[in-house]
Amino acid sequence: MSTALLFAQLKFRLIAGNLRGDVQRKLGFAFTLVAAVCVGGFGFLLMSLMRLAEPGLAADLTVIAFTVFFVSWAVVPLLAFGVDDTLDPARLALFPLRTRELAVGMFTASATGVWPAATLLITAGALVGLATGPGGVLLGVVAVLLQFALCLVISRLTTTALSSALRSRRGRDVLAVAAIFVVLLFQLPNLIANRGFGDPAALIESSAAVLRWTPPGLAAHAIADGGLAGVADLVALALVVLLVGWLWIKALGRALVTADASTQAASVRRSSGIIDRFLPDGPLAAVVTKELKYITRDPRYRIGWFASIVVTGVIAFSIAGDNPGARGPMAMVAGPAALGAMMLALQTCNAFGIDGRSLWMNAMAFGTERGLRTDLAGRHVASALIAVPLLTVLVVAVSLFAGNTGAILPALLIGWGVFGVGLGVGSMTSVLIPYTVPDRINAFTGAAPGQGGQAFAGSFAGMIAIAGLSLPVVLPVVLGVGWVAVAAVPYGIVIEILGRRLASSLGYARLPEVLAAVSRPT
Amino acid sequence: MTEAVRTQGLFKQFGQQIAVAGVDLVVPSGSFAGLVGPNGAGKTTTLSMITGLLRPDGGLAAVDGYDVWRDPVQVKARIGVLPEGLRLFERLSGRELLIYSGRLRGIPKADVEQRAGELLGVMDLEDAADKLVVDYSTGMRKKIGLAAALLHNPSVLFLDEPFEGVDPVSANTLTDVLRRYTASGSTVIFSSHVMDLVERLCDWVSVMSGGRIVAQGPLAEVRGERSLNQAFLDLVGGPRAAGGTGLTWLGSKAAEQ
Repeated sequence: MSTALLFAQLKFRLIAGNLRGDVQRKLGFAFTLVAAVCVGGFGFLLMSLMRLAEPGLAADLTVIAFTVFFVSWAVVPLLAFGVDDTLDPARLALFPLRTRELAVGMFTASATGVWPAATLLITAGALVGLATGPGGVLLGVVAVLLQFALCLVISRLTTTALSSALRSRRGRDVLAVAAIFVVLLFQLPNLIANRGFGDPAALIESSAAVLRWTPPGLAAHAIADGGLAGVADLVALALVVLLVGWLWIKALGRALVTADASTQAASVRRSSGIIDRFLPDGPLAAVVTKELKYITRDPRYRIGWFASIVVTGVIAFSIAGDNPGARGPMAMVAGPAALGAMMLALQTCNAFGIDGRSLWMNAMAFGTERGLRTDLAGRHVASALIAVPLLTVLVVAVSLFAGNTGAILPALLIGWGVFGVGLGVGSMTSVLIPYTVPDRINAFTGAAPGQGGQAFAGSFAGMIAIAGLSLPVVLPVVLGVGWVAVAAVPYGIVIEILGRRLASSLGYARLPEVLAAVSRPT
Repeated sequence: MTEAVRTQGLFKQFGQQIAVAGVDLVVPSGSFAGLVGPNGAGKTTTLSMITGLLRPDGGLAAVDGYDVWRDPVQVKARIGVLPEGLRLFERLSGRELLIYSGRLRGIPKADVEQRAGELLGVMDLEDAADKLVVDYSTGMRKKIGLAAALLHNPSVLFLDEPFEGVDPVSANTLTDVLRRYTASGSTVIFSSHVMDLVERLCDWVSVMSGGRIVAQGPLAEVRGERSLNQAFLDLVGGPRAAGGTGLTWLGSKAAEQ
């Protein structure tokens, strides 16, 4: 018992520690608190309102909701690994605790906190929403507690079993990219519902019929049933909780004495790439080669590029999807092309951010602003090598989707041109508003502590400038004067050259300051 | 005596705190020089300003007679740097890092590849050459950093804490390479707080404390009759007695019985 108390206190200390940090941390904590209270309260309300629905539907919805909580608890703490110190058994390995005590303690620590409390509250909402009669309430209380315990042990099992992989560099890399997929996964039901794949009621019924036999489904069913079948449900559920708990303790025992995998490093292929063979030997080729390697190897690049492709795709198809098949006007294709080009070009608006502390190597090699100009040019070539084919695919797909193949060529020219404008603007923001990109990006910030303002200003200024500078070529085309598209690419190239020249002369003069801005501790 | 490095009144302030309060550093050409001082003495800040990575608030810095801030082309071609904190391009392999660094300076690819291969061999990094730097150990990172700093054959080499966290075998490799390098007439300046090492390697010592140079000259002159460690402690303010009050509980548990 004292172990449980100790761990609960530890968790409270860790939470309270947030109040002692700087303003940003306090704000972050206050935001979390408010969010948890809102989610908890609102969730409780929603669950209790199920009472107003037809009982069969209410039971089905609760089954689905419980399953969603279960999956979220299994997955989300994985993404937060390294944030919560009580999640990592290695932090506690040196304390003289038996595995049993450790398990009790870590379980308590999991149950302590704002999000567990919110989960318990929402789950308890099902009592109000579903339970009928005293039997239902009685079974319901047990079911809610078991469901809550199940969420906790499953989250512990996944983090513990994967903890050694998560501590390795490769594991964290995979996880960083996986985070995006998880976000998309949670968007999936939304998309399915909006796209009108079948009748929503039937969809709910058929998925609930399957999910009802999963452990969280058993809990939900027990509350709704309230009879002997409910008791059977709960016995099965309790067995599952015990089994998962036992697995967790086994995994914990193993994790404490197993070395992490971080020392096993794989080799990379020894090749400088195809592009290198086509470029004249020199600094430009070196930068292009290095930048292309970084884009494929650094998860931060992967996240950035992937996110901009997804956002562009979603926007493009929702614009074009308003009247599919119809011969849409030029704007339906050229608009998304320009937008996609801007999204991709925004990736270059903090060109030195990911180099971060290693940028000194470039700074040491550049004796004149010509060096910086070459560096920016190399980065632009590398970005264009990826963005131009992507834009081409996007434009062709969108125009086929909109049924306007005549728009392909002008829209392509517009997309490429805007991308050129974006590169020119990006080199300016890179030297004027540089900021550090932390090793681990989360959903809330893409900048080092204290540089959130710069990050926002950088992308916002970049966006405004790209939009403003692109208008002279984009606007006529969108309004129907298609031949102006011919000027888009030369225009984009001119802006790129001007922007890069100006940026390198400004940037070279303030290279130490740029270096300091991108080398902030994260 | 020609000077590889000379600074005059180099000054840097971070907010209210004065990090470097007028440093007049002198290092003769061809010497193996140690820059020693306690933590927070301003060694790293001084080296950053001399190598052009940090803009000084005042004073002058010159390398081989060229002003660092007015003639960066000449200076940057002449110096090699291993900064503190092992800041390297993490997602390149060791070999790729060397090749990138050399080509960025305009050395033809074939030459860079040959030099990189030889450096990797000397540094005993051949097995790890195609692994990503992010997976390197501290000693390996120092060695690949030194290799990158040597690749363009600089005449003055600045190393910030090159031996910190390095195992004895790697440290031996590093000293061998550096000795061979200075024997040819090039200059090495490194910061450290391991006095034994400085005493063993260096022929010139500059002692920093509180953002100033408190002693500077040939090793024999600075240390006099004492060991360098004792000379250092005398210069920067000796050890505060650890005996007396406090820590009475610390020590063998057997004594209590």
